[in-house]
Amino acid sequence: MTTKARTGSPWRYWPRLLLIVPFALVGWVPLYNRIEPRLFGVPFFYWYQLAAIIAGAAVVMCVYYLDQRQTRAAERGPRAGDTDEGAGPGARP
Amino acid sequence: MNFNLTATIVFVGLFLFVTWVGFIAAHWRKADLNQLHEWGLGGRRFGTIVTWFLLGGDLYTAYTFIAVPALVYGVGAMGFFAVPYTILIYPILFLVFPRLWVIAKREGHVTAADYIRFRFNSRALALAVAVTGLVATMPYISLQLIGMEVVIGALGFPTEGFTGHIPLIIAFVILAAFTYTSGLRAPALIAVVKDMLIFITIFAAIVIIPAKLGGYGAIFDAVPKAKLTLAPPIGNSLGNYSAYITLALGSACALFLYPHSMTGILSASSGRVIRRNAAALSAYSFVLGLIALLGYMAIAARVDQNPLHADGFERYGANFAVPALFLDMFPSWFVGVAFAAVAIGALVPAAIMSIACANLFTRNLYKEYWRPSCSDAEEARVAKIVSLVVKVGAVVFILAIPKSYAIQLQLLGGIWIIQLLPPILLGLFTRGFHAHALLLGWAAGTAVGTYMAATRGFVSSIYPLEVLGLTVPGYAALYSVLVNFLVAVALSPVLDRLWPQRELLDQRSNRR
Repeated sequence: MTTKARTGSPWRYWPRLLLIVPFALVGWVPLYNRIEPRLFGVPFFYWYQLAAIIAGAAVVMCVYYLDQRQTRAAERGPRAGDTDEGAGPGARP
Repeated sequence: MNFNLTATIVFVGLFLFVTWVGFIAAHWRKADLNQLHEWGLGGRRFGTIVTWFLLGGDLYTAYTFIAVPALVYGVGAMGFFAVPYTILIYPILFLVFPRLWVIAKREGHVTAADYIRFRFNSRALALAVAVTGLVATMPYISLQLIGMEVVIGALGFPTEGFTGHIPLIIAFVILAAFTYTSGLRAPALIAVVKDMLIFITIFAAIVIIPAKLGGYGAIFDAVPKAKLTLAPPIGNSLGNYSAYITLALGSACALFLYPHSMTGILSASSGRVIRRNAAALSAYSFVLGLIALLGYMAIAARVDQNPLHADGFERYGANFAVPALFLDMFPSWFVGVAFAAVAIGALVPAAIMSIACANLFTRNLYKEYWRPSCSDAEEARVAKIVSLVVKVGAVVFILAIPKSYAIQLQLLGGIWIIQLLPPILLGLFTRGFHAHALLLGWAAGTAVGTYMAATRGFVSSIYPLEVLGLTVPGYAALYSVLVNFLVAVALSPVLDRLWPQRELLDQRSNRR
């Protein structure tokens, strides 16, 4: 658990700050509590929140990839961090 | 309701198929099932794809598929809170739980209470965590039965008297048998079938039903305007706005604290598998959003006007809306597929929940208090038996006690389970918190949350909090966990003076 990189630079984890985005998207209800504009007949309230699911997933995916990149940049060689233990990229189904 | 033969044949056929899958699962990735972590966590070997199916099958339960559209059908926009809720769970999953996984793997923990016992070296706190998990999960298992009962009733089986309960009892005997023999491998494999059936059903529903009803525009036009959005707050109150978002946020914080979610997470093969799933599981959220819209489709299709459904609505209330919609819109054979999806969707979480309860009981009560020296084989045997007892309990509970009690208890369960957030979160990310302070915080949070629900007669979890003359109606779970946090923060330094345990805790915390 205790990796040197973690103590060395908390900025390694900056991508995780992006995880605030999903909260921002749905946190302020008056923003989306409206009927117009509709999309294919679906009121804004519904299509906005359905779109927010996709946006939220995209953010988490970005954070995952940035995280992996930071981890690789921070350390070379064998590591004992929590991101990489166990299965490799082709984790078996 | 007429007995629907074609649908029943398809339904029973699919049910028999998953029963077979459940039993062969014991041979999948063969290992010694007399070890608790093999029986109860699938050997912690599930990769990204299996974990995706398992957690998807675990978190998006049959009850969700029935109750969320029923809520949208009944009250409209407020029922859609399930969507922001399932958006917010994934950042939380990503940040918090891979870290717990690493420690659990290293120390051989099977439950959250195992972790708490290790991290704070406190039997009392671990007991509180274990008992809270058990008490919150039991009514949840019963609710899965409600989902199953509705579709069995909708197939046209009689549901009165003891004979009416026979289909449900058979389903649960099957469930109990394959859980006993195969452990977590059974729901993991069945979840693949379940999720495919759900995806097929929903994609058929969102294409076929709007086509029959004249498009999405026509569907939403048929819904009363007042239901389409949340009523804006009036006077000195935040009204539905604060209720909506606190329900979403509080439910999101609570979800992964449930023992069955924890079991799903700990069975993953790495922290990376969990992080990947934090993105990939959103696919289920999207499907849930579409399922919620089935409530409006049921309004537009005027299912309540169909005399064939009068009996069903009388018996199951709004929960009958989606089954009625499927009966009206789909050919009989596809009704069988859709109803099987719901029923199997009840089996998967019910199996995982009973395994999670069995793990908790065995590890944190039986081994901790009765048989500290019990062997691995004995541990696994006890867990298997407990999983049976839990399921019998759930069936008796749902048959003997009015359903409204199960729903109210599940509502309280959400308030109780969220009280585990401070010990787990502070345990993982801070050093200095004192076990006794966390225990007192847990007690205070549980008491305050229960009181808030009691003031609403246990039928609603929205508590109208008064702050400086402003009324902020919000989810009691969220308010009570704030009390819990405050107590823990305030008392920790004081108790640390009285009973210093810093040194040990520093050693066990994973900071630096």
